[in-house]
Amino acid sequence: MAPPAQSQRSPSPSQPSGKSEVSDLKLQLRQLAGSRAPGVDDSKRELFKKVISYMTIGIDVSSLFGEMVMCSATSDIVLKKMCYLYVGNYAKVNPDLALLTINFLQRDCRDEDPMIRGLALRSLCSLRVANLVEYLVGPLGSGLKDSNSYVRMVAVMGVLKLYHISASTCIDADFPSILKHLMLHDSDTQVVANCLSALQEIWSAEASTSEEASREREALISKPFIYYLLNRIKEFCEWAQCLVLELVTKYVPSDSSEIFDIMNLLEDRLQHANGAVVLATIRVFLQLTLSMTDVHQQVYERIKAPLLTLVSSGSPEQSYAVLSHLHLLVMRAPYVFSSDYKHFYCQYNEPSYVKRLKLEMLTAVANESNTYEIVTELCEYAANVDIPIARESIRAVGKIALQQYDVNAIVDRLLQFLEMEKDYVTAEALVLVKDLLRKYPQWSHDCIAVVGNISSKNVQEPKAKAALIWMLGEYSQDMQDAPYVLESLVENWDEEHSAEVRLHLLTAMMKCFFKRPPETQSALGAALAAGIADFHQDVHDRALFYYRILRYNVSVAERVVNPPKQAVSVFADTQSSEIKDRIFDEFNSLSVLYQKPSYMFTDKEHRGPLEFADELGNLSIGEAANNVVPTQMVEENDKDLLLTTSEKEETKGSRNNGSAYSVPYDGSSTSVFASQTQIESAVSNPTLAGHSPQASFAIDDLLGLGIPAAPAVLSPPQLKLNTKAALDPSTFQQKWRQLPVALSQEISVSPQGVAALTAPQALLRHMQSHSIHCIASGGQSPNFKFFFFAQKFEESSNYLVECVINTSSAKAQVKIKADDQNTSQDFSTLFESALSKFGTS
Amino acid sequence: MPVAASAIYFLNLRGDVLINRLYRDDVGGNMVDAFRMHIMQTKELGTCPVRQIGGCSFFYMRISNVYVVIVVSSNANVACAFKFVVEAVSMFKSYFGGAFDEDAIRNNFVLIYELLDEIMDFGYPQNLSPEILKLYITQEGVRSPFSSKASDKPIPNATLQVTGAVGWRREGLVYKKNEVFLDIVESVNLLMSSKGSVLRCDVTGKILMKCFLSGMPDLKLGLNDKIGLEKESQMKSRPAKSGKTIELDDVTFHQCVNLTRFNSEKTVSFVPPDGEFELMKYRITEGVNLPFRVLPTIKELGRTRMEVNVKVKSVFGAKMFALGVVVKIPVPKQTAKTSFQVTSGRAKYNAAIDCLVWKIRKFPGQTEPTLSAEVELISTMAEKKSWTKPPIQMEFQVPMFTASGLRVRFLKVWEKRGYNTVEWVRYITKAGSYEIRS
Repeated sequence: MAPPAQSQRSPSPSQPSGKSEVSDLKLQLRQLAGSRAPGVDDSKRELFKKVISYMTIGIDVSSLFGEMVMCSATSDIVLKKMCYLYVGNYAKVNPDLALLTINFLQRDCRDEDPMIRGLALRSLCSLRVANLVEYLVGPLGSGLKDSNSYVRMVAVMGVLKLYHISASTCIDADFPSILKHLMLHDSDTQVVANCLSALQEIWSAEASTSEEASREREALISKPFIYYLLNRIKEFCEWAQCLVLELVTKYVPSDSSEIFDIMNLLEDRLQHANGAVVLATIRVFLQLTLSMTDVHQQVYERIKAPLLTLVSSGSPEQSYAVLSHLHLLVMRAPYVFSSDYKHFYCQYNEPSYVKRLKLEMLTAVANESNTYEIVTELCEYAANVDIPIARESIRAVGKIALQQYDVNAIVDRLLQFLEMEKDYVTAEALVLVKDLLRKYPQWSHDCIAVVGNISSKNVQEPKAKAALIWMLGEYSQDMQDAPYVLESLVENWDEEHSAEVRLHLLTAMMKCFFKRPPETQSALGAALAAGIADFHQDVHDRALFYYRILRYNVSVAERVVNPPKQAVSVFADTQSSEIKDRIFDEFNSLSVLYQKPSYMFTDKEHRGPLEFADELGNLSIGEAANNVVPTQMVEENDKDLLLTTSEKEETKGSRNNGSAYSVPYDGSSTSVFASQTQIESAVSNPTLAGHSPQASFAIDDLLGLGIPAAPAVLSPPQLKLNTKAALDPSTFQQKWRQLPVALSQEISVSPQGVAALTAPQALLRHMQSHSIHCIASGGQSPNFKFFFFAQKFEESSNYLVECVINTSSAKAQVKIKADDQNTSQDFSTLFESALSKFGTS
Repeated sequence: MPVAASAIYFLNLRGDVLINRLYRDDVGGNMVDAFRMHIMQTKELGTCPVRQIGGCSFFYMRISNVYVVIVVSSNANVACAFKFVVEAVSMFKSYFGGAFDEDAIRNNFVLIYELLDEIMDFGYPQNLSPEILKLYITQEGVRSPFSSKASDKPIPNATLQVTGAVGWRREGLVYKKNEVFLDIVESVNLLMSSKGSVLRCDVTGKILMKCFLSGMPDLKLGLNDKIGLEKESQMKSRPAKSGKTIELDDVTFHQCVNLTRFNSEKTVSFVPPDGEFELMKYRITEGVNLPFRVLPTIKELGRTRMEVNVKVKSVFGAKMFALGVVVKIPVPKQTAKTSFQVTSGRAKYNAAIDCLVWKIRKFPGQTEPTLSAEVELISTMAEKKSWTKPPIQMEFQVPMFTASGLRVRFLKVWEKRGYNTVEWVRYITKAGSYEIRS
């Protein structure tokens, strides 16, 4: 445990400043240390308590280390425990002092009271000081063999802790195989459960390098072992049951009778009081029956009741966690839940995150028989005080309408919304009416009558305004004053801030022009003039395009702008079914709550570099002249990084438009127009859009910043690199996942290099001059991490590099992946020589 | 891995760390700053209890004036994490004597550290059963009433008994008087439309027990639920007794209940933990007896006046009565003056929640008191429109009444020593979310 950071608390006058109190305590402790007077333990206890509370509120009491250790030479378990706490807190920052405690901790590990043995062992393993690991092996070894289950339980976790401090020590001492033995033979289920957690972690980490470990990991999901656990499942505590069930989901039964056996065995777990156990069981059921369609349906029916119970019991947070899972299932099989729609009605006081999920579920389960009730209920929410929820519910009504049930009544309702005269209701309803008209053009007459009455002045939101303008353009022949409304909008061109609205206005003017030319002509001219003068690239381009096409041939223009339209039957789904399946595979985890597969938010290769990139963006703005970055500043930047992550999400949408054009150059250099380049790269790279949009934008920025005109550089003869190599981030990520590591090595960095590496940028510029480009970088002294790529000259063969530089040891850990494995050695030489020149030029 | 929490933090409402425990080194110590900056100090607070910031996920819950935050760096099991927090907090409460707030935490640092170390090791949840924890915890918090009955000092070698087949009960308990208390507590959730039709209605019930029994007793509970009765009549091959039977939609049990036996014989049999615990939870949607009917008429007389008439009808037995009945009738924000007439209880206008609050301390069955109020509004053009008429809400408790009609038919205690036990059974129905749209 690290000491609480001091900076978090502002010293308030009521809090003790610390200094005098600490020296006071020191004195008192010293007096008591040698004393054997009766009752001395009680006064020690009081003092210890004081020390611990000072420690907790952030006063540094590490200077008492010696006294504390002296005082703890006692048999009083209360004192001992507090002393362990204290030692655990300060050992990490004072490794030398920690050495002092080793002795008495080791002695306590041999105490006759099993509780003291366990506690001492836990404290010993929690010191987390790397140079003390040698003292851990002995006590851990005997702890694992202890006759008392409490000690064994602690020892097993101790092994895992040791592994995280020093993996090699743990492996060398052969602890994993001892754990394996315990796991299979120990009578205590908590010991077994801890072994399982520890071994899963150790073997997963080792699997990439050791064949044996990956074999062992496979053995965990072998039939005998899974059966061994399943047969004992009732003896495990509730948390361990979750662990076991988690493992069972990975097991692949050989035939259907085995599947039924497992399900019968686990059936009663669905009645467990702990919601986590129920969810884990549900996951097992769903996974097992994935290939058996009819049974899978029965499983849905079976798990419905327990899930609904879990949703309605417990705190809002718990029910949210369950509701997210229910949401996933409802989305997969809405028909199973269509009769339970009343469970998804929102209560007035529910938090909005719960309401939002419920609204989506209500939308999903709507069918012929329940649409009326559901829509009636949703309309109640439209008057909700919680405006985002009110908006969501209007959208939900629209979605149901688009699903084709009882459209007639729903259209009436939507039109009522328009008459409610609340800005946000009108805005949402307008967008919906637009979508409805795209699908059911036959409703246009009813809708237009109402829409025509809405004054465009009351509509402020860009989306709604755009929808209104679209309708004005599309149905200008039916709306008496459409040309004049549009004209007044054109007159206020400069006050319109949203590019989206201006784009729609241009198109609507064109449509209107073809339907009612005499009334529109002058306004169209004004609109085109304003559009061509517009500073926004898209608006400018479109206006210019319309202008030119009109000059070229008016009838062609009409065909382009006003083609006969077919009703839209299916609106594009926002999430691919592949992603949905991935999420389903990760049932009962965060993926379901975030509604994205785990690799999108946990993979370092996915997420890590991106954040670094973002940080880099911040850094390079203000610090061009600032070569030496003091550590403190780096820390602040670190906080900036945290700040930007959420901002980034908010601005995601708007950056979407802008960044497409901010890329200075992209892969294909043949095309002349920026927009064409964009289209081509999007075509050649279809994953870009759906994959992880926010990701690529961050890096686009980076590319924009990070590539100054690269000077032509002499490349070593054996391998020529393309000086203008380009690779977009998502391709990089994809390749990085797919390719095997071709080479992995450690390179020394020259002292000059270390000195020059005060910030990641320095190295970026250097490597760039060697035609090795950086795609993401980050970190702070002493550890920096970089992702580089390079392209072979006149070929599209790529090299991808992960480089971790530790400046204190002056070493760089380099992993190279290459399209063309044969040349990876050459590239490595090149990379090494480039890196070695860093700081000398 | 189910949780593998990296750290747990307890923060006060200002965002100061009261106490924390870092279980793993994979999150930086400053992650809590990120939490404070991006969640506590922004509008994000309360929008979602799970948030990701800079590679770490934060699960947070507010309990009185404390935020409990769990930080994980991997794709963790959320349900497990929240359940863990809830269990941990209820355990803290029992040690602190019922309250879990900033002060209680400040007064019990050492105890909290001790507990946090026992219930979670390196991020993996360990045993949270209070019976077993008692053996390891040396600090005296303010103990809950039930734990003070048994011996206070841990038995030196108690660790041996920690993990037998009955992990939740210690052997060798002795009571002079063997008693069992059983409470059936139900909460009724209702959503009624303005036209008086029931949109949604269900009952979530729980059976709470308090056992002070010697030795290793075996208990058997019989309820008037449909499945249990059918099974019983089947086994005894005689027709089921007439009378009301209850269909439970879903049941969950405490880990002490033998689920195999429940599934085969449909009887609830168990070896109870010592002291207080929740035996089972159930949910019912069919055949719910609503204890109250509310008939509101709210008329808006012009721009500045409203007339509110509310009649509340109690539909349970005339000999029974409800306690602590509160009816909250929302009125617009710009309410200026109110005047009331009530046939029972007291009413007043509470400007803080924009409601007319009508309280009736004791509300007999089969009666129908009324409230009529006149509300004067300040006339403003803009705000009149935005009044959204929130639903009328009700709070109440009705002792000796179950909305589901569930009854205990028998509770048998069997122990090899064959002592006599005294059994106490109580019923109570409370309002969950009881909403009537007006």
